[in-house]
Amino acid sequence: MRKLRIIIKREYLTRVHSKMFLWTTIGLPLVSVGLLGFVVFTSTLRVTHALRIAVVDRAGGLGAGLDRNLDEKLPSGQPMFDVVETLESPPGGVEARLRQEVESGRLNGYLVVPKGALSGRQAAEFHTRNSGLLMLAGPLSRAVSNAVIAERLQAQGLKVNDVQDVVQRVGLKMIKITRTGERVERGQTIFTAGIVGMVLYITLIAYGMATMRSVIEEKSTRIMEILIASVRSSHLLAGKILGVAGVALTQYLIWTVVGALLAAYGGAMAGLVRPGASLPTLRLPVELLIYAVVFFLAGYLLYASLYAAIGSMVSSEQDAQQIQLPVTLMIVISLLLFKVILRSPNSPLAVTLSLIPFLSPILMVLRIAVQTPPFWQIALSLGLSLAATFGVVLVSARIYRVGVLMYGKRPSLIEVFRWLRYT
Amino acid sequence: MADAVLLDHVTKRYDSLVAVHDLSLSIHQGALFGLLGPNGAGKTTTLRMMMRILVPDEGRIEILGQPLSERSQDLMGYLPEERGLYPRMEVLKVLVFLGALKGLAESEAERRAREWLDRLGLAEWAGRKVDDLSKGMQQKVQFAAAVLHQPPLLILDEPFTGLDPINAALLKDIMLELRARGATLILSTHRMEQVEMMCDSICLIDKGRNVLSGELRAIKRAYGKNILRIEYQGEDGFLTMPAQIEKVSHYGEVAEIKLRPQADPQEILRAAVARGVRITRFELMEPPLNEIFIEKVSASDA
Repeated sequence: MRKLRIIIKREYLTRVHSKMFLWTTIGLPLVSVGLLGFVVFTSTLRVTHALRIAVVDRAGGLGAGLDRNLDEKLPSGQPMFDVVETLESPPGGVEARLRQEVESGRLNGYLVVPKGALSGRQAAEFHTRNSGLLMLAGPLSRAVSNAVIAERLQAQGLKVNDVQDVVQRVGLKMIKITRTGERVERGQTIFTAGIVGMVLYITLIAYGMATMRSVIEEKSTRIMEILIASVRSSHLLAGKILGVAGVALTQYLIWTVVGALLAAYGGAMAGLVRPGASLPTLRLPVELLIYAVVFFLAGYLLYASLYAAIGSMVSSEQDAQQIQLPVTLMIVISLLLFKVILRSPNSPLAVTLSLIPFLSPILMVLRIAVQTPPFWQIALSLGLSLAATFGVVLVSARIYRVGVLMYGKRPSLIEVFRWLRYT
Repeated sequence: MADAVLLDHVTKRYDSLVAVHDLSLSIHQGALFGLLGPNGAGKTTTLRMMMRILVPDEGRIEILGQPLSERSQDLMGYLPEERGLYPRMEVLKVLVFLGALKGLAESEAERRAREWLDRLGLAEWAGRKVDDLSKGMQQKVQFAAAVLHQPPLLILDEPFTGLDPINAALLKDIMLELRARGATLILSTHRMEQVEMMCDSICLIDKGRNVLSGELRAIKRAYGKNILRIEYQGEDGFLTMPAQIEKVSHYGEVAEIKLRPQADPQEILRAAVARGVRITRFELMEPPLNEIFIEKVSASDA
């Protein structure tokens, strides 16, 4: 046990003192903040200046109504749309000209209301070069609908204003129920779950690979033989995995503190980037944080022992590339399943996926973040994961014990299976 | 007193290859023991089994009277043939780490590491990264790591390769000094002149088998004084005496002559004098270890 402690200590200290640790610790939050900043920046960019558009009214008689209804305002209070021309039932070639004007930049886009729009059989079209202006779809659709509805009402001899009062919609606020109370939902939950899932994904791969590289380094520098002559290989393996885990936890701790500071002052920072903008709030309940750390550790132990076994099989990092692919792929699959979980976190599919070892470390935390599942599911998921880890560690330790002394050609799978039988 | 190392009918197989075959061997305490053998004879495998890096398939190994265990590992210092240290760690830190792994308290490990670095002429390098050191210096650091915890048994695999004559002599002195203090040293090498100079007993293994073992002096004596060394001036025609001489190796004016078993060295001297050759040295001696090695290995290959 004393030797185990010495191995852990060396692994931990050399890593925490390395430049790499410094850079990733600073880098990852900076990149995240940068990404958030970019999102804030681009989302506000869309509505900062008025868009010059043309309106092609093939239905006829909608021009004035459309003009009136294109009344969306920018945050600055200026109108969002500047309708430079309205063409009622124009000749066929006009759209080619408009397209040219969009391409030359004189127009930001043009709206086409087809004949069939009045009966609701044909959709209106907005042509623009910048498909990123997706958020224009709402205001444009509303304007066309309102104009068309007004036209239809008039045809029936009804007054538009009266009807508007009658059909006035009722808004809906989404409220999320949590153990600590209720709060208004504006997408933070999904946002938080996404961030936590991404961090788990990145750190599982990064620290798993770090463990693998560390084993390869000890092999390729040939210090392995001295280590094995002093320490039991299982202690060496355990020390390495636990040492790297310690580094990961240290990094998590630093990020949590930084995250807390960001949560407290982030809004003010976003305001600096662009006045009036607000940062999507990252709500990180303590409960979620604890689960994230617990499941990270469970997942890390599972993957790191696999990565370490792979490291012990090969003599160089190039050789490791191919073998580690299936392991890394299992983590990537978790990422691909984010959508399934986030869409309906309590569906039988989501529940099943979050119980499968190898997937559960990320997916169960996602579920916890979105909608706290029954406790028995969390416990079962963790238990299954630990059971799998126990089995994987046993096999990995055997591969490791033989592999660390093997040099030269990368062993075939059959050879590795033979190693398992060595005494 | 228990043997420093006892191997009792030890066999180690890799898939199809038998690396060590029914090897029995005892090394007494305080010995400077040479483990010899051609490349691929099973020397490293044997050492690795003593170090408990590998587990024998059959047979029993004892170190200083106790079976192999984690404790027996701490009784040994090991300089593997393939050298290696953490390249990006500081020299002193590596030594402290390796010393601590062998059971030293860190403060004690650091004190001794500084002493050894001083002794090996590396005191100024204590704070530098291992990577900054030359190969020879790294090897000295590695040697320090092997002896730091004052092991009663020291296993050195090819300790002199890559060292200049001055450092090789320094290492040799230290090894003799450690032995004088009571340590047992095992040297694995195929450099015969070093073994001849330093070791008191040897084991020659070939293809995993013990071909020859015992006290070096006794082994040589058993071979008898069948080598004649002559320094001479003049024609070398007198050396063509097939009845007396099996083989001649010329080194300038020195001839090393391997005699046939029933040969009479006086006959050779007489022939030389008769031809007017001037003899400045005439010495009958035991065969060099090199001869014995080649003879034994080619015999076991045949």
